[in-house]
Amino acid sequence: MNARRPSCVMMAGLIALAAMLAAAPVRAGAETLLRTRLNADIRSTDPGTNRDANTDGVMAHLVEGLVAFRDDTSIGPMLADSWDVSNDGKTYTFHLRQGVKFHNGAVMTSADVVWSLKRWLDPATQWRCLSEFSASGIAQIEKIEAPDTQTVAITLDRATALFLPTLARPDCGQAAIIHHDSVGPDGKWIAPVGTGPFKLGDWKRGQYVDLVRFDGYVARSEPRSGNAGAKTADVDRVRFNIIPDSSAAKAGLLSGALDVVSNLSIPDLEDLKGRPDVQLSITPALGLTGILFQTRDPLLKDLRIRRAIALSLDTPEIVDAVMEGTARANNSALPIGSPFYGEAEAHGYTQNVAEAKKLLVQAGYHGQPIKMIANKRYSYVFDSAVLVQAMAQSVGINIEIEVLDWAAQLDRYNRGDYQSMAFTYSARLDPSLSFEMLTGPKATQPRKVWDNPEAQVMMQQSMMIDDKAKRQELFDEMHRRFIDDVPMVVLFNGSEIAGLRKNVKGYAGWLFAQPRFWGVSIR
Amino acid sequence: MLGYLTRRLAMTIPTLFLVAIAVFTLVRLIPGDPVQVMLGDNTDAAQAAQLRAQLGLDQPVPLQFLYWLGHLATGDLGHSITNNLPVLPLILERFQVSAVIVLVAVGLAACIAVVAGLIAAWKQNSALDLAIVGGATLLLSIPSFWLGLLLLLLFGLKLKWLPVIGYVPFSENFWQAAMFMLLPIATLTIVEIGVLTRMARAASIEVLRLEYVTHARAKGVPEWLVLGRHVLPNAFAPTWTLIGLVLGHLLGGIAVIETVFTLPGLGRLLVDSIFARDYPVVQGCLLFTAVIYVVVNLIVDLCYPLFDPRVAVA
Amino acid sequence: MRWRANTAIGGTLIALLLGTAVAAAFWTPFDPLRINLKARLQPPSSLHWLGTDEFGRDVLSRLMTGASASVVVALATVLIAVSIGVLVGGVAGYLRGWTDRIIMAVNDALLAFPGILLALAVMIVVGANKTGLVLALGLAYIPSVARVVRGTVLSIREREYIEASRVIGNSEFYSMVRHVLPNAMAPVAVLATSMFGWVLLAESALSFLGLGVPPPAPTWGNMLAASRPYMETAAWLSVAPGLCIALTLLGINLLGDSLRDRLDPRMAHG
Repeated sequence: MNARRPSCVMMAGLIALAAMLAAAPVRAGAETLLRTRLNADIRSTDPGTNRDANTDGVMAHLVEGLVAFRDDTSIGPMLADSWDVSNDGKTYTFHLRQGVKFHNGAVMTSADVVWSLKRWLDPATQWRCLSEFSASGIAQIEKIEAPDTQTVAITLDRATALFLPTLARPDCGQAAIIHHDSVGPDGKWIAPVGTGPFKLGDWKRGQYVDLVRFDGYVARSEPRSGNAGAKTADVDRVRFNIIPDSSAAKAGLLSGALDVVSNLSIPDLEDLKGRPDVQLSITPALGLTGILFQTRDPLLKDLRIRRAIALSLDTPEIVDAVMEGTARANNSALPIGSPFYGEAEAHGYTQNVAEAKKLLVQAGYHGQPIKMIANKRYSYVFDSAVLVQAMAQSVGINIEIEVLDWAAQLDRYNRGDYQSMAFTYSARLDPSLSFEMLTGPKATQPRKVWDNPEAQVMMQQSMMIDDKAKRQELFDEMHRRFIDDVPMVVLFNGSEIAGLRKNVKGYAGWLFAQPRFWGVSIR
Repeated sequence: MLGYLTRRLAMTIPTLFLVAIAVFTLVRLIPGDPVQVMLGDNTDAAQAAQLRAQLGLDQPVPLQFLYWLGHLATGDLGHSITNNLPVLPLILERFQVSAVIVLVAVGLAACIAVVAGLIAAWKQNSALDLAIVGGATLLLSIPSFWLGLLLLLLFGLKLKWLPVIGYVPFSENFWQAAMFMLLPIATLTIVEIGVLTRMARAASIEVLRLEYVTHARAKGVPEWLVLGRHVLPNAFAPTWTLIGLVLGHLLGGIAVIETVFTLPGLGRLLVDSIFARDYPVVQGCLLFTAVIYVVVNLIVDLCYPLFDPRVAVA
Repeated sequence: MRWRANTAIGGTLIALLLGTAVAAAFWTPFDPLRINLKARLQPPSSLHWLGTDEFGRDVLSRLMTGASASVVVALATVLIAVSIGVLVGGVAGYLRGWTDRIIMAVNDALLAFPGILLALAVMIVVGANKTGLVLALGLAYIPSVARVVRGTVLSIREREYIEASRVIGNSEFYSMVRHVLPNAMAPVAVLATSMFGWVLLAESALSFLGLGVPPPAPTWGNMLAASRPYMETAAWLSVAPGLCIALTLLGINLLGDSLRDRLDPRMAHG
């Protein structure tokens, strides 16, 4: 008897509650609310300092820089309407946009730009990208001047092709121009008073971040492209719910509790296809997933063994299975979406089992185990490792997978302490940076996978020159050497998959795996 | 009584000190550090070193421990590396969520389990007994995340009775909060019934064999009264101690449930912090759960005589 | 009566399990690790009796191979936890005094950690593999055993028949091994059988949280955790390992009950 009572009460309560929920109006008033998801809370509201990819994505709605990345990774105007570069390539003169308003109503002038840039360069700000502007970085900033209220001139100590791309980098907080009310009199961060189409609303840590439409925003006239172009807020409020578990997020989308779920995992795709009330947005992304080899390892220092592994793989089949047709095979360090991705880059490894076996015999390999580190934080990394293991097995290579958590894998990566690992790099928006993340001297930078001095020289050259054809030549040559050296096997660039309710209009993913909610409306 | 209480409290101090050392050592043994997690694959050595210095992670580990212990003595658990929030308020806020789920679920589970265990013991060796034991074992073997997702699919997606994601604190809107809590509580209750029923059955069997039960029966006391008045309260006592024992495991199990139902509870905070290598939060959480564990067991011991008249507080 | 029913049902289930585990070493319908990307997520059919998983691997073959892996991990963990736990708890209860206090302080400190999360942290340190899992979970479960054993030893050593044994002139150690330990076996048996189930589940929960026995080598736990995204579209992936865990637990528990009934002198005539 007693056993039944609590469960009866529970059932009754459940039914009563359900009835109440059904009766309660879901949306009160005329406010339009777009509900989306973050897989982890943002780190802070202080862009470019205490940040991660989620933080960058949210901040891109609140603040803007002088320039911004377009959809094709080229640089477009944002708060600067145009700019001139001096003949020696060292001085950039920015002509600011007229009548841009901060969230507090103040009109932006060159003084705000100078103040913001100087704040970024102040070591106390702890800007993530400060080291880029140090002696070991791309260039040092020698002078920041404001000849009039609408002009800012920046002088560098040397010419570089990477100055504007670095300013535009989302992880650098887009070197945002903010109002000085964003910080207190002591210089401590309070909240972003930026120029973006949204203002920061309520931030309930661990639960949600709200963005509210900024009514004083005047959009640029060019069409929306990347973080550049027209940014109009078509909804009153955007709520980023913090939902770590992707199955739960998917359930939220299906039940209508969420309107947009980005960063969907591949297994979810299967389930969402063919649902009448859900649409999918699939865009190629700029990340890079592949198998890294430690070329200092006693076994893997033998090029023939590395090459044998590469030749044992049917990359298109791996990519097809792992990404379920949402991504294309790519053995190049440059992402497929890059404007520099040409015919040379499309030339990679072709599966050749006989050749692989021959190389193994020559190298005297007889089944010594090769450890491969993988993680389960990114399902596609783990799945790639499983398929590589199976295919390598078929030519007689004995790979053992070791699963680590992401932080532990990063530690091994940074120390170069591995035989091989399945790894995923985050997006690099410039081809020079794509090579920079791979090549370097292992003695001083153990995380670099490709230790080839000639390639490093070419990489440095590609950073200095601005001429597209010359850069292309360098990248093509580096690609050929990269394929010959087999320091790693690149498999594919990821894809950004978002699930949307049918009534969401205007959403588009882009190369950078961060959702954008300007220009998005709910019908 | 007061003397006993002081003694018991004093006894917990070395335990907590050991916990503090163990927590600190374990957390620092974990490979990888918060700086690498923050910087990801784009780590620049100079940048990383700067950040480490900023966070005090460049100090020798024993020194860091003493520093932490010193602050601990003043009740300061430090600040989160991830978002710079003070750890103690963060833990307290998250703990409220977990505490509601655990208390309600264990309470419900205990009530159901004790009665089911009693019936099984009373009808020992019958088909009913086998059914209850079998049912309990089946519940024991359901992974909580699986059950949770199943309930989520059924009530959230198929029937659309309950919200599938999100959380509202009770202080904000009681009914809405209850809606969000219903499925997690149901999940944990079902899982715990399995464990507790088996224990309650074993306890009841012991009690049923005691002389005073035989006496009562011999005196012609109706069977329902024997069970209700004599056996039930006594069978509850061992289950009660067990609740204290399983609490540690529960706080681990709740991490899974909080992940499935996207609740900002203590378990999820701990798991997230372990993966982010947020040392101060991991240390704070583990120490906090240890304190809770010690306190709950103290309460359990103090209340024990209320349930078992045979035992007096020594 | 009940003892026989328990033993029969439990014994059958466990015999089946062990038989499968042994058989899998010699023969499975398919290679449990062979990937067939053209036959992904196929429902049960006459070819694949329990369907295929997301890599096109045969689920039945994986379950069979997983049986031995899961059983070995669970048995090893329970063995470690019980043997060390009985030793530690027995020593504490037998010697009492300061030894007891120190041992119990350490024990309580360990017990105060949330088990699975302790295991998670330990596994990150020692590595996600079978040995790591056994160590991590073993460490997490030792304190519960030690506590139960100590309690039993403390309560039993004062009983008349122990006293009697001492009076006859038997050494204390002999009395302890001869009389006290068998009595402590009953609660330990209950705990050990439950623990067996916890291990199978903890492994799957750890996989769910991101670290378990690394697939592709199958265990029931990691199969269950991997099936999660396909719960709706490919239910057989989660039902099969889930049912295996449940039936194994039922078998173990029934056998455990009958074992306890035989070991526990007070329960012999139930």
